[in-house]
Amino acid sequence: MSDSMSGLSEGEAKEFHKIFVSSFLGFTAIAVVAHVLVWFWRPWLG
Amino acid sequence: MWKIWLLFDPRRAVIALFVFLFTLAILIHFILLSSERYNWIDGAAGGGMAAITTESVNL
Repeated sequence: MSDSMSGLSEGEAKEFHKIFVSSFLGFTAIAVVAHVLVWFWRPWLG
Repeated sequence: MWKIWLLFDPRRAVIALFVFLFTLAILIHFILLSSERYNWIDGAAGGGMAAITTESVNL
């Protein structure tokens, strides 16, 4: 049992963080593609 | 950066994140739908490229 506030050990935190970061990058990539498509459809600045 | 997970329980953090992102997405999509230019369902005829080209032709 670890004594961190969340109850996770250092190893678990690092392992979760790796997955969290790659999921975040995937989400961002999809969002960028979506915004580029919308920009080509109807630009929103100016 | 990973130390954040020693403070916040990943389960609650991920659930909170999903609820927040879902609400924001719903909000933005409905804002766009309520606008004239970005309503992709009943949208103004034509659109980005088509509208520009027709305008230049009519001049």
